[in-house]
Amino acid sequence: MNIRDIITKARSENRTALDEFAGKQLLAAYGIRVPKSAVIDGVDEAAAAFAQLTPPLALKIMSPDILHKSDAGGVKVNLQSAAEAADAIRQMMNVPALRDARIDGFLLEEMAPAGQEVVIGAVRDPQFGPLVMVGLGGIFVEVLADVAFRICPITRLDAREMLAELKGAAILKGARGRKPASHDAIVDVLLKIGGEGGLLMRHTDDFREADINPLIVSESGAVAVDARFVLS
Amino acid sequence: MSTQAIIERYAPLFMPKTVAVVGASTKGTALPNVFIRRIREFGFEGAIYPIHPSATEIDGLPAYRTLADTPQPVDYAYIAVSAAQIPAMLSAAAGRVRYAQVISSGFGEVDSGKELQQQLAAAARAGGMRLLGPNCLGIYTPRGKVTFTEISPREVGTVGVVSQSGGLGTDIVRRGMSRGVKFSGLVTVGNCADLGANDMLEFYFADPQTRVIGLYIETAQDGRRLFEILRAGEARKPVVMLKGGRTQQGLAAAVSHTGSLAGDDRAWVALSRQTGCILVDTLDEFIDALLAFQTLAPRTQRPTRRVVLFGNGGGASVLATDYFARLGLDVTPFSQPVVDALAALELPPGTSITNPVDCPVGTLQQEDGRVAEKILDVIYARAEPEALVMHLNLAAFVGRSKPEVLDNLVQAALRVQAHYPGKAHFVLVLRSDDEPELVARRREFRAKAAALGIAVYDELSNAGHALAALQAHERFVQSRRGA
Repeated sequence: MNIRDIITKARSENRTALDEFAGKQLLAAYGIRVPKSAVIDGVDEAAAAFAQLTPPLALKIMSPDILHKSDAGGVKVNLQSAAEAADAIRQMMNVPALRDARIDGFLLEEMAPAGQEVVIGAVRDPQFGPLVMVGLGGIFVEVLADVAFRICPITRLDAREMLAELKGAAILKGARGRKPASHDAIVDVLLKIGGEGGLLMRHTDDFREADINPLIVSESGAVAVDARFVLS
Repeated sequence: MSTQAIIERYAPLFMPKTVAVVGASTKGTALPNVFIRRIREFGFEGAIYPIHPSATEIDGLPAYRTLADTPQPVDYAYIAVSAAQIPAMLSAAAGRVRYAQVISSGFGEVDSGKELQQQLAAAARAGGMRLLGPNCLGIYTPRGKVTFTEISPREVGTVGVVSQSGGLGTDIVRRGMSRGVKFSGLVTVGNCADLGANDMLEFYFADPQTRVIGLYIETAQDGRRLFEILRAGEARKPVVMLKGGRTQQGLAAAVSHTGSLAGDDRAWVALSRQTGCILVDTLDEFIDALLAFQTLAPRTQRPTRRVVLFGNGGGASVLATDYFARLGLDVTPFSQPVVDALAALELPPGTSITNPVDCPVGTLQQEDGRVAEKILDVIYARAEPEALVMHLNLAAFVGRSKPEVLDNLVQAALRVQAHYPGKAHFVLVLRSDDEPELVARRREFRAKAAALGIAVYDELSNAGHALAALQAHERFVQSRRGA
């Protein structure tokens, strides 16, 4: 399905946001790496999906009713076999909030190699149009609000300056014995999202907000592990 | 549009040959009567056409019934009558008015006037004119000898300002004037029913007379266009922006003030980072920064960082060192060779010969102030700062030293400046309290310094903010254009 169809379909279903799989298709269409994945309806399809993917896998519930999948118990990670995946699905179905939700399916996907968690976001400003944001994952964004915004379209230099502006910028360089995270990989994703001809410039009227949270960044690259696009 | 086309388009506004005034009364007491008096006093040489439904003469000038009845077409119409009657007046102008500025309020800034504002904009289009306002105070354009303010510099300067608020526009002219700012123009745009801050910004970028641009803005009428104009401008001319409504509380005040939604602060910070416009927080910082850009030529190959403080007042210079450091300006002690060279001057005890250089009045009045030349020569030659701030506490001079000492100190600084052209930005701080003799001395001295092209600040902190603005501009240009 092409991007336009994905958005049209979500609208026709009166959804407020793209589902995670659709969001990742959108990212992939703009050249952003996403984990290899499969969508299954239930336990019966777990084995077939496992055969195509390389464990360990993550399992995520897909539901328009569940906003925070992890908090709701809708995410299981480090699954090594189809049997584990089937168990995980059964466990989720024992959680009342999940059992009662509308369920589109389950996303099984390969797990990104370890790296620094980064958040890339977007909002539509009533006066300036699309803004792109970057921050470091976890407490940096959520508690310290250590983020940088720019008006789209951004240039490569803008993207570099956004990273330099973060108070936690040193962490990307590999502070406290951690491996450094590739600046170029983050800059590249920022440009694909917020640059000239990027996702936000092409879809100015489609989305009110968007989040890639987390983007997992290693020394060599970046993978968008979760994505959320809120429709306008 | 080409630069030339923009300049030509706005020539009738900034250099009108004919001015119509709507709302002047035969009694001569209404605001438009005051406007007529002001522009005559200011030396306006073109024709003034009072518009009045019945009078044949106002303030000694022949009056005309409508905007379409004047002998010559109208370049600029100043309109201050009750809101409801204005749209019909504009639509009847029959293409004979180029620019109309509606001073009156009662339009989009109040709920009941929103529809009337739309009618006003439509009427301006129908009448074939461009509209400024409503809900503003006027235009100050020294090249056209038109002003809405009671006092304003006659000299045509290089600072072009657009203000969404009329009252603040008046403050900017008056306070700017008292601090030595000279304007290429100041336009109050109010509710921006037609032309707005973006259009004036575009003009100032094109206008060769304008070298520095100041914006007081509460709401971007068209944020995209503002972003695009500023980005295309590439900080070719420094832009200083005072943004009202950056906090939630300020936002509430702004909504009631201009009648539209103000944007989120983070977008404004982004705008500043991406386009190099300098965001300031207060009217003082705004004027201080404009003065710095008017006076000092940005040095983008060597952005301002290292600053030398030179003057009297040990505590004041220690505090300033801290304050400057917070602003990203470096007042670091001199290296040993510089200290040795200063020591060789054998200055009196009590003189601190590291940075900040603290000289008691006893030192500064040596050779009637000419000693400063020797000290500064060593600093410029050996310490090579990017900026030198000379601060003088007037209370310590007046009544204790000869009047010419202050003059000599500044002359000494200027001679050193001339000897090392382009080496360091030089600014002067004249510290004082409100004691009348000191205030008078400062005023006189500030005027002298301004005439010599020196930026004068009231306090070290003001000078710090001004230099920080200069630094931000220099760094931006360096990062974008490789200087």
